[in-house]
Amino acid sequence: MQKYLSRHNFYTLLDTLISGGIRVVAPRMTAGIPLYGPLGESVEMVLDQLPRRSAKEAFFPVCEDIMSYEKEGQQVRLTDVEPASFPETVLVGVRPCDAAAIPVLDGVFSWDYKDEFFLERRRKTTVIGLACTSADDACFCTAVGLSPADTRGSDLFLTPLADGGYLCDVCSDKGEALVADTINLFSEPGSSTPLPLAAPSVPAFDLKKVKGWLDGHFEDPLWDGTALRCVGCGACAFVCPACHCFDIVDEGTEKSGKRRKSWDACGFWKFTHHASGHNPRDKQPKRYRNRIMHKFKYYDDKFGQTLCTGCGRCVRICPVGIDIAAIVTEINGMAIECTPAGGETRS
Amino acid sequence: MCDHTNRNIYLPHLVTVTDIIDETPDVRTLRLVFQDEQLRGNFSFRAGQFAEYSAFGAGESTFCIASSPTRSGYIECCFRSVGRVTEELRRLEVGDTMGVRGPYGNSFPLEQFYGKNLVFVAGGIALPPLRTLIWNCLDLRDRFGDITIVYGARTEADLVYKRELAEWQERADVRLVKTVDPGGSSPSWDGQVGFVPTVLGEAAPAAENSIALVCGPPVMIKFTLPVLENLGFSDDQVYTTLENRMKCGLGKCGRCNVGNVYVCKDGPVFTARQVKGMPMEF
Amino acid sequence: MINTIDISHYGTVAESIRIEAARILGEGLVTAVVAYTAGRRAGSVQPAIITSAAEAERLTFTAASVNNLAVYLTKAKKDIPRSGRIGIVVKGCDLKALVGLMGESQLQREQLYLIGIPCAGVLASTVRPAEPLTAGNLAPKCRECDAQLPEGCDYVPEIDLPLPTPLESTYAAEIARLEGLTPAERWAYWKEQFAKCIKCYACRQVCPFCFCEQCLCDRNKPQMVDTTPRPAGNTAWHIVRAMHLAGRCAGCAECERVCPMDIPLNLLNRKMAKELKELFDYEAGFAVNEKGPLTMFMEKDDQSFIK
Repeated sequence: MQKYLSRHNFYTLLDTLISGGIRVVAPRMTAGIPLYGPLGESVEMVLDQLPRRSAKEAFFPVCEDIMSYEKEGQQVRLTDVEPASFPETVLVGVRPCDAAAIPVLDGVFSWDYKDEFFLERRRKTTVIGLACTSADDACFCTAVGLSPADTRGSDLFLTPLADGGYLCDVCSDKGEALVADTINLFSEPGSSTPLPLAAPSVPAFDLKKVKGWLDGHFEDPLWDGTALRCVGCGACAFVCPACHCFDIVDEGTEKSGKRRKSWDACGFWKFTHHASGHNPRDKQPKRYRNRIMHKFKYYDDKFGQTLCTGCGRCVRICPVGIDIAAIVTEINGMAIECTPAGGETRS
Repeated sequence: MCDHTNRNIYLPHLVTVTDIIDETPDVRTLRLVFQDEQLRGNFSFRAGQFAEYSAFGAGESTFCIASSPTRSGYIECCFRSVGRVTEELRRLEVGDTMGVRGPYGNSFPLEQFYGKNLVFVAGGIALPPLRTLIWNCLDLRDRFGDITIVYGARTEADLVYKRELAEWQERADVRLVKTVDPGGSSPSWDGQVGFVPTVLGEAAPAAENSIALVCGPPVMIKFTLPVLENLGFSDDQVYTTLENRMKCGLGKCGRCNVGNVYVCKDGPVFTARQVKGMPMEF
Repeated sequence: MINTIDISHYGTVAESIRIEAARILGEGLVTAVVAYTAGRRAGSVQPAIITSAAEAERLTFTAASVNNLAVYLTKAKKDIPRSGRIGIVVKGCDLKALVGLMGESQLQREQLYLIGIPCAGVLASTVRPAEPLTAGNLAPKCRECDAQLPEGCDYVPEIDLPLPTPLESTYAAEIARLEGLTPAERWAYWKEQFAKCIKCYACRQVCPFCFCEQCLCDRNKPQMVDTTPRPAGNTAWHIVRAMHLAGRCAGCAECERVCPMDIPLNLLNRKMAKELKELFDYEAGFAVNEKGPLTMFMEKDDQSFIK
């Protein structure tokens, strides 16, 4: 189903939701940078820049309390955090690379044990995606099988039109319900044409072949060659829409405090360091290898999906210019050269 | 006892420390009883599974459940104090409260061992993951063939479960071979002197209709596997457990993987064949 | 355009680096050269560690050569192969870090072969690497540069261009603005800035002076600084960092450049440098000092803070 939403009505829609008590989260300027955050009113929304952190934080916050403890003598009292108390939210202005990562994350947070902190927010959030009409040379969504108009992960999907309004694709029941509630703001699609979509420049990867190459190259000179200069920070993982590793720590006083879940990164030496001093990933190239393997092989092995949506954030922010698009392009090239029998060599 | 309802999967159960046993100067066993009465009766697990143990204010630490599933009403954990959490757990006294989440991970396929001879090989602090299985089998003694236990540590003082070693030594239906590294024995030592792999080779348990269960430091495992191979054990007859750093224990937090294997979900129990198929990242 | 900065000599500089790197590697004078190569994206430049003369042809130097490569020579970067003498490309600001590291006995001059850059400035982190360098997109640290021509290097490409004159410091202006605020207003400013911190530690990992083998923040017995990215731990971390760098930081501003959340970290470092200048007439990075002012006591030291 497609509808027309004028620019004015788009903002009216958000203000209507806000005044109706719905939490509306969108990119907005926060201490000088665009970040997703709750809007006080629709005009705060900033749509011309990709937020520095991805939309994953609407489901998997940078840091959240998962319980609290209080000690009294030999007794301890635990207080649970009730995911049921999470607010109904509409997440707006989400680019396809960010939106597509959300259902990808369903894999890890819902297999076997259910992480209700993530899943309850998923249930309570309606995602309004937005097609991209510009890309920079860090963008590579088209290389990983997505596009600037991919609706994956969106409940409603807006495509900018020449007249300043939007063509609104209704992609799910949740999206349909939102349109039904505010139907007077929508009309039938008119004659205005969609603006030309962005065209990221990185040639498409053959993800099957890339994975096939990774299957056989846990040991390869590539890892030292690309990752020796990695300084071991967590910036790439933290800005990534799909990286989902986390830490669990207690913070507080002797008597009381909180147990918290917060973003963690496989680039940190401490991530896999045993208390005994042993570290299975004791060198930076091994840690970087895990990053690439997790995204293009392990997650696919486990959940049948690639853990990268080509947003390019890690490319833009890496302090030492490590460029995942360039690395996977290289792997893609080597994979294409490989013989199907697996008797490949690498010079 | 997997809990798959939509509760907070990170919330631990409260347990009371009911007994403290110092195994070595820095290794301690805690016996824990669930404060929730219903859970006390219902909590069930299988040998080989692990749990996340909370010292509130310090955090959580991962160890196996060291007691046997056949002994109900309590569980035991055994740990060396090396980190923030284990040092805090060591400060607990009888009657104090701590937390337990679990049981997690896979387990030893006990039913497949029925009718077979079992050879347990352990080194140092790595006896607890086998001790749960040893008691499980001894409590169901008639379902198994010969039981051999080869256990060694650096010195006599480093041997854990000393009272139980004495008990196993007394039993006619168990063959215990205990050893300490050269230089680690006192004049009164009544066991062997030598490294575990060497002593295992000398003890030479038969491979036919047998299963070997090996737990120890990486270097011990490395030298033990060829000894078992020489004795005729195939890689499918040998089981071990892997221990990687974990936080969630639930297949979410992303740090315990060895290649695409999540130790917390796919392990911690693996056959030697499975381990040999993994990248060297443990 | 009037405010374009003349960097036409960078092409000659790059060619000189390639020739010199090939020579010193070829002659066996050094075992490795830490320098810059081009990246995939238009105009992008990244650090490179090369070990053979043949690789020298990949090297470059442009206005996007922003990294302070000194970080690769610290003991925190254990994975970088280190044997014999190492060649390194340094701008004046980068050299200050090496001077500091020598002062702290982390490096010895004879281990290094310094290829100095006559530097007219590099691009700010906020712009794309392909943009032409102007007074408007110049990295803030370059505006107040006092080390355009690094001194005491083993090799500096000769150029016949005059280097541009420094511009008005934006840091000084911002520090003056913050000093003019009330403590409550200043606290509000930093609280808002630190609230963005996600504890990625990029600031720490690129800092040549953050070479502690185990950072205080990575130790948990005791847990001195909360690890989660929340107000208490974020504030503690950035204050610990600023204090630990006082009298050591020479202003390469890498921390600020790499912060994915644009926290103006170099403001803290410049403020500390200003205090050090006022209290001890000390500036980091110019001479190999055995001890900085905060690690020694002199009777003439200001003691007015003791009450």
